[in-house]
Amino acid sequence: MEPVEKIFDTRELNVNMGPQHPATHGVLRLVLDIDGETIVKVTPYVGYLHRGIEKLGESMSYFQALPLTDRMDYVSAMSNNIGYCVAVEKLYGIEVPERAKFIRTIAGEMSRIANHLLWLATHALDIGAMTVFLYCFREREWILDLYEMICGARLTVTYPRVGGVRNDVQQEFLESLWKFTDEFPSRILEYETLIDQNRIWLLRTKGIGVISAEEAVNWGMTGPTLRGSGVPYDIRKFMPYDAYDKVDFEVPIGTVGDTYDRYRCRMLEMRQSNNIIRQCIEKLPAGPVMADAPKFTMQPKDKMMPITHPTKQHAFFIKEKACKGCGMCLRACPAKAIFGEKKKPHAIKQDMCLGCATCYVTCKFKALVIVPAGKGLSDEKLAELAEAPVPEEITKASEYLVRQFEFVKKGPKVPEGEIYVATEVPKGELGFYFVSDGSAKPYRMRVRAPSFVHAGCLPRLCAGHLVADVIANIGTIDIVLGECDR
Amino acid sequence: MTVRDIIKRFTFIEIFQGMALTLRKMFSRAVTIQYPKERRPIAPGFRGQHALAKNPDGKAKCVSCGLCATICPSQCIYVRRKEDGQENYEVDVLRCIFCGFCVEACPYGAIVLTENYEYSGYTKEEIYLTRSKLLANWDKHMAGKKGEEYFRKFWRPMSGDFGTPPAQSGFKGKKE
Repeated sequence: MEPVEKIFDTRELNVNMGPQHPATHGVLRLVLDIDGETIVKVTPYVGYLHRGIEKLGESMSYFQALPLTDRMDYVSAMSNNIGYCVAVEKLYGIEVPERAKFIRTIAGEMSRIANHLLWLATHALDIGAMTVFLYCFREREWILDLYEMICGARLTVTYPRVGGVRNDVQQEFLESLWKFTDEFPSRILEYETLIDQNRIWLLRTKGIGVISAEEAVNWGMTGPTLRGSGVPYDIRKFMPYDAYDKVDFEVPIGTVGDTYDRYRCRMLEMRQSNNIIRQCIEKLPAGPVMADAPKFTMQPKDKMMPITHPTKQHAFFIKEKACKGCGMCLRACPAKAIFGEKKKPHAIKQDMCLGCATCYVTCKFKALVIVPAGKGLSDEKLAELAEAPVPEEITKASEYLVRQFEFVKKGPKVPEGEIYVATEVPKGELGFYFVSDGSAKPYRMRVRAPSFVHAGCLPRLCAGHLVADVIANIGTIDIVLGECDR
Repeated sequence: MTVRDIIKRFTFIEIFQGMALTLRKMFSRAVTIQYPKERRPIAPGFRGQHALAKNPDGKAKCVSCGLCATICPSQCIYVRRKEDGQENYEVDVLRCIFCGFCVEACPYGAIVLTENYEYSGYTKEEIYLTRSKLLANWDKHMAGKKGEEYFRKFWRPMSGDFGTPPAQSGFKGKKE
């Protein structure tokens, strides 16, 4: 008898899946070579969401580039922020205070829960369980509300800073978070009631996308995707950053390495994260939340107050003797209130001066002085007052002000060199690689995105399965195309 | 396959457990809100529409030093001085990413992000914020106590962040 192929004259079909497909978690395009319902080959095409984040980072100071990392993995923006900050801190060589470390750990684990919830929601929805989607989003919303409490934003948080965190946590935040951690384990049980033993779920996940431990390592998998295959590799354990070396947690691993194992891993990881948050709240030490490294952080605002407070009517005055006429202040003045010819002493037109202190900060020759409460006085009177010694309060404040201007306008200079720092984000290993040429901006910023590596594993995972299993496989590797394409 | 598995298989027990859960949820309170009628409470310090802060005497705090425009990662703030001496401060909201760096960079406490998030419009001009609109926003959303509270809590970093403040939130123990 002739083979079936010959009788029906079957041939491989070339089908596009995506980029606009609801189950591809973004704009991922897959070209499937299929033989009937069976996958022969899958070719992922990425780059539809490319925004050039790595290149953009080269044109921004290290401080400014932080919001870019929010937009990489927008599902767990907090983890990305933390990864970036940890990397830049290592490059700067500054130490973060203990309290900030704990707060970051709390925020990072919240982000892990939020990410896994969204992953479970969409993964279950792809496979066909609608209810789980709604239940997961209920808790994710809760976490986003908690984010709003600490930093004022729900999704693109920009909460950690190089050297600490943006602001200290409030008591009501800690209390609501404690309430959340009390409640959350019972909510995980709810999801498990719905799908853990469900026969449809088991049929769709068990034995799908099986990858052995050795192969998973060779394909470069990280995070829960790797741990599902039984490799207990977790950067939080192996290279602890923040406060992970001060909390107890286990790294759940799978046995077979199929979609169901990876699902179990993530479910257990959520419980561990919940535990870590509880430990961190209990152990949260008192102390500063920003590193004491004045060169690398924004300056404390209240220290600048003697000059910048609106009720202080200070005047700025150029001492004729000291002014060399270099023209620095003239160019810098936003109000164009400084006049004068080159190499001759300049003067400030007091009625046009806004009192922003830009000239004071730019002057290299200390020709500019602050005359306390001198606004509205005539030039002669100011010249007289300018000779008087400046109060100590103002001298101190001006130091901070100068540093603030320098930090914002130029950015701190960074030692030359290269650095690679990896952190464990919910999706896997997120690495930041910086090449610094000694300036305030990175010469090269490179991101090792777990989603990119995992998207590359799709051909291996999908081969030999059915078309419907492609969806399960996309779900199980937990990719976000914003991070993959950057 | 054990006897237990066989019983499980034919009684559809896990399906019924799941369905019982969803049935129970039918009688619990809804977690959704009907948006235009109900509004969710906004946490203090929410990063919404911009405003330019005013002194108690009604004058703008902004001195046009341009630090906010420099630090802005999306370059959406324009600070200019017009020929006739009129200051110009514009925020292109459609470019803004609400990172709050401008608030952090400003040494004068002049720019704030209010809790207002409902400002859609049909044209770009409606949403584009000029100096007068920004000052009006302050009166609308931040005037009085609210503005003071904002600066006290969210105008960061303060020197307290670099040292240990006297009172700091921490774990208060389990509540019964």
